[in-house]
Amino acid sequence: MSATNDIPAHALERLKGLRSQGHPGGVFTSDFSVNEFLLVRKAGFEPVGLCVGSCIYHVGIQYGSWNKNQEMSVLSQAMYHARELAMSRMREEASDMGADGVVGVRLTVKRLEWDANVLEFVAIGTGVVHAAGHTTFKGPKGQPFTSDLTGQDFWTLLLAGYRPLEMVMGSCVYHVAHRGMFQAMGTIGQNVELTNFSQALYDAREIAMERMQAEAIEASAEGVVGVDLHEGSHNWQPHVIEFFAVGTAVTPIDTERDASTIPDPQLVLSVNS
Amino acid sequence: MAWPFKSAGKGAKPDPAAVRAAMDAAAARGVAWEAALNAKKLPEFVEQRLAAAAAGKTPWLATMTPAELLLVRSHGLRPLATVTGTCWFQYGRSWTEGHAEGWRTALHRLKAEALACGANAVVDVKMRTAPSGLSASMDYTLIGTAVRLERIGPSTNPVVATTPALEFVRLLEADVVPTGIAIGAYYDWMTDYGGAARTMMFAGNQPLQQLGAFWENARRHAHQELRQDAARHGNGVLAHTQFGQLIRVEQERSPDRYLGRHIVIGTVVDRRPGQTIPHPIESVVDMRDELSPLNRTEAKSNNAYSSNETEGAI
Repeated sequence: MSATNDIPAHALERLKGLRSQGHPGGVFTSDFSVNEFLLVRKAGFEPVGLCVGSCIYHVGIQYGSWNKNQEMSVLSQAMYHARELAMSRMREEASDMGADGVVGVRLTVKRLEWDANVLEFVAIGTGVVHAAGHTTFKGPKGQPFTSDLTGQDFWTLLLAGYRPLEMVMGSCVYHVAHRGMFQAMGTIGQNVELTNFSQALYDAREIAMERMQAEAIEASAEGVVGVDLHEGSHNWQPHVIEFFAVGTAVTPIDTERDASTIPDPQLVLSVNS
Repeated sequence: MAWPFKSAGKGAKPDPAAVRAAMDAAAARGVAWEAALNAKKLPEFVEQRLAAAAAGKTPWLATMTPAELLLVRSHGLRPLATVTGTCWFQYGRSWTEGHAEGWRTALHRLKAEALACGANAVVDVKMRTAPSGLSASMDYTLIGTAVRLERIGPSTNPVVATTPALEFVRLLEADVVPTGIAIGAYYDWMTDYGGAARTMMFAGNQPLQQLGAFWENARRHAHQELRQDAARHGNGVLAHTQFGQLIRVEQERSPDRYLGRHIVIGTVVDRRPGQTIPHPIESVVDMRDELSPLNRTEAKSNNAYSSNETEGAI
């Protein structure tokens, strides 16, 4: 199979246009820094254009029982679905540009000021194509790969013998039980662990992590790099907290290069900090 | 854990059977967590997840960066799983002792997860705390990446390093082993009977001897405890977190009282004295943006306390 066979004709034309000098469409857009730009090109890729996907989402209302630790599945689902929509729209735009993937993806959630239940989700990154036309860098199901790694990290990842597949994520919105008054009175002035709170955090984090892992398994990844696991509360009632896990699923490059060609890293001591 | 909905999006209706199953599963998990925390063990499903990760049956989850993946090949440092330790602790009696105990419990639990996946080290351990409006209690959470150094066998007492994987390996190359986290905390009260710490506006330049000595004593004790804690696993500490507060409590018709509390947390290292880095120093250009000395605003930190050290810094 020839390497260029899979690219649709209109994409090839557009790519040709984007790359030829003097063509009105021959301009790439990206939010790369200078270092990033140089290293993405060093990795053998060219930027095509900024890809954006956004989604304004009305998050439904759900109340947790006052004294119960429980997942708020309506909210979990909303937070996940809205991000997924933003991501898939970005991926679609990348696909239309003929990009092999999107690097430097930033996924943000913003609150709109007029309604506490409406959130805006934005995914933005730079679409790139392989300069020599290799198509093996695509993500799962022939879609462009997505990665929240910077251009520098992208280069390093390829150097380390891995390629990105897709950003994987998991979310869990959780209601942490309130402590009853008698319970609270009983421990006043003591140093004790509040086990029900510990338990709630553990459970919520575990669920978010399991969901991210399920996505990684789905993408047939070897692992997930740059995992970020953080907590947030998007203006919900007190005691409701979101755990969000995100990272880039990666797989070893075995068709492209032999592992023995991967150089050992040279460790340096920084005298800057 | 599966979603209790058949499909996402507009008009998605929860499937009653799936919702019931999800609620039962959630209740069962709650019971399992409670039993596990009481028995100082891990719930079965966590053990299973970690065992599957250790056996390579499921993708590894690592906070490591791509550059750190290179270490897999060069140094045999293999990522296994993201491991955590959490303890929500109420410090009704003593803030200082509560903070020390909260972190120590979290550390213990982090180690239990690392053991369950056959790790011999946990790197990139970050201290975190969930936002909460609660007073007198706090979440003490440690999150890190469990790794296996292939050259050495499984360990019954994995080392815990707050350093990222790159720095971990760099320390190992220099014959320094980061071994754990040490905590030193101390608090004390001082009653200012003579009112010596209160000065008149025109009292002029003078050191406040009593208050100064009291505060210095509190810090010294915290450092003393840090040293004792560190001696259990190594022979040095890189203390990255220092948090101290001196608080005046004014009372009617009785002398002022002062509370001094200080907490120091650091990475314990075990080094051979006199050993230095085996490499010559060479100048290189670092192409990572955030590391440029030109646009750096603040050092990255793995600190759960907002540092109060900058105020009045020299």
